[in-house]
Amino acid sequence: MIQITGEDFDPGAFIEGARKRGTGAVVSFLGIVRDDGIERMEVEAFEEVARSDLSVIAGEAMEKFQVQHVDIIHRVGSLRVGENIVLIVVGAGHRKAAFLACEYIIDRIKEYVPIWKKEYANGESRWVRGDHAGEVTGKSERKKLVRQ
Amino acid sequence: MKESVRVRAFARFRELFGGTIEMDLPWPATVRSVIRELEKINPAGLAELVDNEGNLKKSVILMINRERIMGPAREDCPLRPGDEIAFYPPVAGG
Repeated sequence: MIQITGEDFDPGAFIEGARKRGTGAVVSFLGIVRDDGIERMEVEAFEEVARSDLSVIAGEAMEKFQVQHVDIIHRVGSLRVGENIVLIVVGAGHRKAAFLACEYIIDRIKEYVPIWKKEYANGESRWVRGDHAGEVTGKSERKKLVRQ
Repeated sequence: MKESVRVRAFARFRELFGGTIEMDLPWPATVRSVIRELEKINPAGLAELVDNEGNLKKSVILMINRERIMGPAREDCPLRPGDEIAFYPPVAGG
């Protein structure tokens, strides 16, 4: 399942859902809002493109690593410290392929998919710096933090 | 003659120029025509989108109808009536 959602999700349900005949390994990655002295973060997406990109990335991972099952769930909206941001679940015959596919997916999300985070703390806000320009231009200029 | 396009901006660019802008442009138009209109909306904010020569910064992602537009002269990409032009900064999801 590929989903961009404003609602929280149950990682355990997705892990259970990844079991199939022939599954020997399920690897998951759960991204969580870390307490870096922030109060909350806002997650924004170009949803139509992000959903399509996530589907492409899931397909790439399945083909490249020959895994059986991929879920990618990404939250949008206002998230507090400790809340879930993103879940990736990969089911495969063997652990190595599942680990590699899971890492490939989170790396591709971070460098390519149009999703942004803005952190709020002490009456200030700043966009989390994106280091990647979506592989469009090769080298990207580092975006300066914006304080308001 | 004028034609309409829809411009979408995300994250920092949304804050500077607005999220969705219906734009009437003198026709024929290119991406550069959109940049000129964005300058009218927020002259100071334009410096975050373009360099000193008025070209899109390399870090800016440009999409037309949800296709990423690459290459050095992407500002000169011609537009068609009804196109959706999107600008966004480097991504930071996950």
